Amino acid sequence: MPVWLREYSWRQTGAAVYLSLPVRGVRVTPANIFCTEQYLKVSIPPFLFEAILYAPIDDTNSTAKIGNGNVFFTLYKKEVGMWDSLTLANANKEKLQYLRENAVLKAHEKAKEETEAKKVTKQEHKKYALEATMKLEEAERKRIEDLKEKERQKVTKELELWKKQQEDAEKQKRVQKELHQEVEPLKVKKKEQMNKTSILNEGTSETRLKPTKGCPSSYNMFSENLKEEQLPAPRSAATIKINFTSRVFPTALRESRVAEEEEWLRKQAEARRTVSADLSELEDLKEEEKNPDWLKDKGNKMFATGNYLAAVNAYNLAVRLNNKLPLLYLNRAACHLKLRNLHKAIEDSSKALELLTPPVPDNENARVKAYVRRGTAFCQLELYTEGLQDYEAALKIDPKNKTIEKDAEKIRHLIQGTTQDS
Amino acid sequence: MSSAGLERPQLVAHVQQALSYTLFDCKWVPRSARLLCLGSAARGTGLLQLYELRGGRLVLLREIEKAKPLKCGTFGATSLQQRYLATGDFGGNLNIWNLEAPEIPVYSVKGHKEIINSIDGVGGLGIGEGAPEIVTGSRDGTVKVWDPRQKDTPVANMEPVQGESKRDCWTVAFGNAYNQEERVVCAGYDNGDIKLFDLKTMSLRWETNIKNGVCSLEFDRKDVNMNKLVATSLEGKFHVFDMRTQHPTKGFASVSEKVQKSTIWQVRHLPQNRDIFMTSGGAGSLHLWKYEYPAQRSKKDSEGAEMGVAGSVSLLQNVTLSTQPISSLDWSPDKKGLCVCGAFDQTVRVLIVTKLNKV
Repeated sequence: MPVWLREYSWRQTGAAVYLSLPVRGVRVTPANIFCTEQYLKVSIPPFLFEAILYAPIDDTNSTAKIGNGNVFFTLYKKEVGMWDSLTLANANKEKLQYLRENAVLKAHEKAKEETEAKKVTKQEHKKYALEATMKLEEAERKRIEDLKEKERQKVTKELELWKKQQEDAEKQKRVQKELHQEVEPLKVKKKEQMNKTSILNEGTSETRLKPTKGCPSSYNMFSENLKEEQLPAPRSAATIKINFTSRVFPTALRESRVAEEEEWLRKQAEARRTVSADLSELEDLKEEEKNPDWLKDKGNKMFATGNYLAAVNAYNLAVRLNNKLPLLYLNRAACHLKLRNLHKAIEDSSKALELLTPPVPDNENARVKAYVRRGTAFCQLELYTEGLQDYEAALKIDPKNKTIEKDAEKIRHLIQGTTQDS
Repeated sequence: MSSAGLERPQLVAHVQQALSYTLFDCKWVPRSARLLCLGSAARGTGLLQLYELRGGRLVLLREIEKAKPLKCGTFGATSLQQRYLATGDFGGNLNIWNLEAPEIPVYSVKGHKEIINSIDGVGGLGIGEGAPEIVTGSRDGTVKVWDPRQKDTPVANMEPVQGESKRDCWTVAFGNAYNQEERVVCAGYDNGDIKLFDLKTMSLRWETNIKNGVCSLEFDRKDVNMNKLVATSLEGKFHVFDMRTQHPTKGFASVSEKVQKSTIWQVRHLPQNRDIFMTSGGAGSLHLWKYEYPAQRSKKDSEGAEMGVAGSVSLLQNVTLSTQPISSLDWSPDKKGLCVCGAFDQTVRVLIVTKLNKV
């Protein structure tokens, strides 16, 4: 239950009402005061003061002064006149209620309107600020443009001036040329006399280099000015042979198929490193015999001397040590071909080709050999179509190889021959 | 941008001319306000147009059509009176034309089996000493030096060893022509090789590889003792080599800059100041650079051999003119700061670079 404040004093003039409300012991803030046209309330819990005013007042202009334990209201009347009392006398409960609610609503509306007004002004301010900055920037830009334009014009003028100077210079030269032309025949005669007598040559070009006799004017103009020395004879022809920077793959950065090449290099590196299992059997081998490369070389030598079985043995051992080196299979395939173990040759060539992926320019040669060997094996088994396929694959890698071409042709004829027969 | 920024050289676009053919090269005609545009018409024939800069416009003076598209041209090997143009075309032919009578070439040879990518001339225009010579670099991997007085055979031929797979030669440049005997040709290839050939001793003097294809090479001056060489490449890098000191193993010292991601198509030094050069990029931009020499140009390395010290490069200005690569660039030898550039958007632009005196 609120404590009603009933002690108050008031006085009035024709236009205003002055109300003094003592509030001892409590602090009053503007939030505690609520005032509309006909309703005044001061609520400082638990204290409460409310008054339904006799007549409407102008609540926007009215003031309340808080201080000294007192709230002093200055309420300006809407209609000039003397009030009988501060509050409406016969105010029943319902009317009070109604008035209170009304007052609250009105206050709300007013608050809303105020916020709206504030928003609108804020927008306008923003817009104004934006326009102002835009104008400033525009001005700056224009200034720069103007400066640039001025430069341009200045420069254009200079250019024109220079051009004029050039033209004037040209004209001068032409005039001089004409003068010289008149003097020419005299000079030539003098020159001839001089040439007969003196060995020394002046540095003039007339008698020496210019073969054209039909245009004396062109070099005459400059005969006084230029001192042409004898041009050296054309250089003796020579050729310089050059090499281009070698890379692992000789392609420029933009052309390289780096991914594939990297893969190929990695495979090679791995292949070198693998040492296969069952070393137990190989313990009694010499150190060098465990090296696949050394074994490969041995095999190659034996192949060269014609000892194919021994070569095969060497390659077999190498493969046992490291089954990822394509060249081992390739060479073993060659041996098998010589030994007429055609199926084995095919097997080995196929294994070699498998290991020679991805296809990069580096392993071109190896791949050509593999295809050719496999093709030969097929043909010797009379599987000519497979053989032809392999030869054509080889030809695709190396189109310039004549022997492969010839062999492919032969096989084609054979195939056509057999199909005709059967 | 404050006014302090305007103290730097400005690249002012003076004139722009739209063309109806693909432009490969543009060159100033020495001692004149005329410029030459070389290219390929849509029909597959070569086109040569001569323009004059008049007022604020380019006026077409002559148009000459040839059988094969023209790729590159130079005035470097002719005298100032004659001003013959040497061109390389798509068919590998080297021709020298007299622009007054362009029907028959003054000199013609089928120098290469494939397109001549780049051409340079030395000994003419009153610059340098020695015989006028022309060097051409072609897609067939060879670099050949020609003397207009000798028909049909080159006076020097730099070709790959038998059996070596060939790399396209993309650019060539003359240098070191300070007296009658000395001369050097530098060639850049598409795999990043740069090779320096000494024509006096007919040998390979230096080679290096800059990893990316070399688009353009230029010595800062052809007619002095080799001073600097700028090499530009794909992927936006260029290298400046200090050519005064050659180390026996390390070669020449260099400094490199990366500009943008796009290819740097051309580099051209300002004829009036050899420390300023302009690079043109694949994104249609031009960059103006200044090279600063180091305090000491050479120093001794650990074994006591002389080694060069590269300086530094600073960007003076840049401008983007087009969306297509600017493939050709030429400074006017007569007016400082006047330059022409041709881009693949079929326009030729004349630019003026201001404030070069204050740099």
